Amino acid sequence: MADNDPDRRKFLKAATCAVGTGVGLMVAVPVIRLVVDPATRTTVTGPTEPLDLGNVDRFRVGAPPRRVEVIAPMVKDGWTSARDVVLGAAWIRRTEPTKIEALSAVCPHLGCAIGWEGKDFLCPCHDSRFSVTGEKQSGPSERGLDPLPVEVRNGRLQLTWVRYKPGSATREQV
Amino acid sequence: MIRAFLRDRIPLDRNGAMMAGGVSFAHVFGTVLVFLLGIQVVTGIALAAFYSPSATDAWASVAYIQDQASLGWLVRGLHYHGGSALVIVAGIHLLQTAIAGAYKQPREIVWWLGVVLLVLLIAWSITGYWLRWDQAGYWASQVEIGIAAGTPVVGGAIRAVAIGGNEPGNLTLTRAYAMHVVALPVLVTLLTVFHIWLARRHGTTPMRVARNAVPRWPQQTLRDVIAMAIVFAVLLAVVIVTGGADLAAPADPTQAYDARPLWPVRWLFELRVLAGSAEQLVAMAAPAVVGGFLVALPLLDHGMERRPRKRKLWLGALAGLFAMIGALTVASFTRDANDPELAKRQATSEVLATRARKLAVENGVPVTGALDVFKTARFWTARTLFASRCANCHDADSKERKGPVIAPGHGDRAWLLAFLKAPSADQFWGRTKFAKAEAAMKPVELSATDLADLVEMLYAESGAEDLDIKKRDRGLNLFESACTDCHARDEGSPGAAGPSLAGLGSRSYYLSVISNPKSALHMGPANSEMPRFDRELTVVERDALAEYLVWLRTASTQDLIGLGPL
Ligand code: FES
Repeated sequence: MADNDPDRRKFLKAATCAVGTGVGLMVAVPVIRLVVDPATRTTVTGPTEPLDLGNVDRFRVGAPPRRVEVIAPMVKDGWTSARDVVLGAAWIRRTEPTKIEALSAVCPHLGCAIGWEGKDFLCPCHDSRFSVTGEKQSGPSERGLDPLPVEVRNGRLQLTWVRYKPGSATREQV
Repeated sequence: MIRAFLRDRIPLDRNGAMMAGGVSFAHVFGTVLVFLLGIQVVTGIALAAFYSPSATDAWASVAYIQDQASLGWLVRGLHYHGGSALVIVAGIHLLQTAIAGAYKQPREIVWWLGVVLLVLLIAWSITGYWLRWDQAGYWASQVEIGIAAGTPVVGGAIRAVAIGGNEPGNLTLTRAYAMHVVALPVLVTLLTVFHIWLARRHGTTPMRVARNAVPRWPQQTLRDVIAMAIVFAVLLAVVIVTGGADLAAPADPTQAYDARPLWPVRWLFELRVLAGSAEQLVAMAAPAVVGGFLVALPLLDHGMERRPRKRKLWLGALAGLFAMIGALTVASFTRDANDPELAKRQATSEVLATRARKLAVENGVPVTGALDVFKTARFWTARTLFASRCANCHDADSKERKGPVIAPGHGDRAWLLAFLKAPSADQFWGRTKFAKAEAAMKPVELSATDLADLVEMLYAESGAEDLDIKKRDRGLNLFESACTDCHARDEGSPGAAGPSLAGLGSRSYYLSVISNPKSALHMGPANSEMPRFDRELTVVERDALAEYLVWLRTASTQDLIGLGPL
């Protein structure tokens, strides 16, 4: 029978594989495109503008560093949007009436929350110590505390929230 | 080399499976079903990588897949319509097996497994339909769980287990999700493997006796992949033409909706409608009769006779059953198609769905729940407050209107001009007690050009930028000479006998008036009937209203409609 002719069998096999592969690809391509989609976009939006930390008069000149929560008015995460999301905290110090410094409360070692110990900063996780200006003093952290840009606009303190990669000596934004 | 390596280590049966009755397109259905199952698994995994089974998030994540993720609509469409294709092809496979008499001894168990699989496939699609948690899926779940809940004695327990508690919510979705993506896939896969293994063991039922056995590969396999390609082409065409699967507005338990179950159980729904008061009995009995008949078929139609024309009784009964299910399904869809009232309600639902999905794309869905997506519309807070707190006295259509009409164009040049000409006209102070009072403002009698100058000056107070500076300056002089007996325009100082006009029509002006119209700066305690709102509404709410009033000045009626209904 013609069906048993070796050439014909070869052709049938090739045709089967070709059609099968074609259909398989038609399914696979859209599926793979969809699955990698989140990798191609900003799925969680951060604040695009400096965040308001309130009236500058809250911060007295020469007072010890004061911890303030950094709150984004709106964060979109995939399909949801949330208001007033706490992004983290910052330590604010006003050294002169016109000079205000902000340090991120995220430990540059592995990201724990930094506390103020009366004369220096301490990370409770692995005992990294930092001076009041943020310099590294002791412990496993590879760098000092991360400064955050601040400015005063219309009497209100505005802070730009930045997150740096933990665990390295240099500051790399994430 | 690689081939030889693999051949030695994975010793497949070198001769391969044989087809007893020869190859044929009649034997492709089982393979096509496996192919369709494969599509469901692959697309399902992709969708599961996005889907969030919680009452607050489910709709939002589906809308995200449908409207935002690249090709999400296509994958979701393939999954949705692929599920329907599975049920349809499984039905054909079942009918064909029956006609061929392939359920006969010794293949009864293959048949029974097939019947169970068909039921599981339907359950699979039903649980999948719930997951979208839109109006359609939510209300379908209510109908379907309602049918099950009608079971005598254990009905209440079935409902409680199905929805996971007393009311539909998060637990309903996590349960449906566990069923849909874990339990049913595992069960269906196991039974399918068993079904195929047994079927292969018994071999295909030869359709014509006088034929040599032929190896399955490659001749039957080629026919299989051609059939797959055809089925996939049809599926793809349906997905593209329909734009994938639909998605209604988020589930709203308080909003009436025309609930319809998924199409494979639509015939039961129709049967219930026809059965009237006996609906619960019918809903229980009908599936039992159909299922019982299918299970009993190999026992009823026993003997070795496989030629269809010798088995008219049982094939006839089966055909009758399928025809009835088909007719009921068609009747149910036809009834809906011919219902103009339903069409109207569906059009309304459609509008809501479009709005919700558009807002979800623009603003994201609030974490407080999918229904709150409507509240992300522009001026939603202000318009809701206006409707509940202001419209009664200020809306043109309100029968109890007591104050000036507030509508698009409120506070623009034309409005100011009309006001100056007749402050006590009906649409301005006409309905207030103050209009009749001695102290009420009199029409401003000036030449047309002077009036226009004065209007420009008042308009400038709002902070609008499209000004004619010369006109405004002339207007300022006019104001000083003609208006300052009563009014003032210095920040914070009240007029001698009337309200301050500083910042008239600006956001901070409106905020101040709404907060306390009885303040000496505005109408004063004696002349205003409007209540103060600084104790009732938060400053954010009052400010939202003020922002809305500023927007209204330049808005048209069309713009207002464009904001959509509340
Ligand atoms: S995380 Fe702060 S010291 Fe390790």
